[in-house]
Amino acid sequence: MTYEETLAWIADIFEESKENIHPELSRTEIAAWDSLGTLTLLARLDEDLDIRLSEHDMSELKKVQDIIEILKRHNKIMNQ
Amino acid sequence: MRFILVDKIVELEPGKNIKAVKTLHATEEFFQDHFPSFPVVPGVLLTEMMAQAAGKCLDAERKPRGKAMLVRIKSAGFHDWVPPDQEVIIHAEIKNNQDSYATAECRIETENKTVCKAELFFAFLTYDHFALDYRDEILETYLAIKKESACIQ
Repeated sequence: MTYEETLAWIADIFEESKENIHPELSRTEIAAWDSLGTLTLLARLDEDLDIRLSEHDMSELKKVQDIIEILKRHNKIMNQ
Repeated sequence: MRFILVDKIVELEPGKNIKAVKTLHATEEFFQDHFPSFPVVPGVLLTEMMAQAAGKCLDAERKPRGKAMLVRIKSAGFHDWVPPDQEVIIHAEIKNNQDSYATAECRIETENKTVCKAELFFAFLTYDHFALDYRDEILETYLAIKKESACIQ
């Protein structure tokens, strides 16, 4: 994924418009990043990107940048 | 009406797939409103049938994670009307079965015709949330019969 596609992917998971998603956006600022949103993110990481995380890993995520960092660690974001 | 939307399990592979049946009879009060002179089973009840069947398939694994609870309808489509007194066959296939969530692809058939499909997403709720004497009669009955027939063989 490109960086732009990554933001769109995150926006899709949390049912936000892509324009609203930026790295510093915190979990508390995303209405759908609740317990169901966390499970949805967990499932989409697995189903779309073959990344398996624990619920504990998920609880450590506090903002969009944290999700981006996971994708970078798994080489899922292409260098621009 | 009771909210038991699976009459009987026909086939079950715990955590993998299930086939079950349900008939909603014309005496159900909601058919008076849905719709006058054109009674059909509401799509929400068809969706719940698929959710209950898929849930039983997951619960049959008896994992400590708890009871499967529908938390998201990822997609659903209704292709044909289901009249009262029509037996429907519910199929569910578990696609992703993890400790904290599961997904299922489900469909309902009548007379070999698919009338609806849904992709459902489940989370799990530990059994301490439910009444101590809570039992899933439909699932327990199927498992007991299965166990009995295995003993006979």
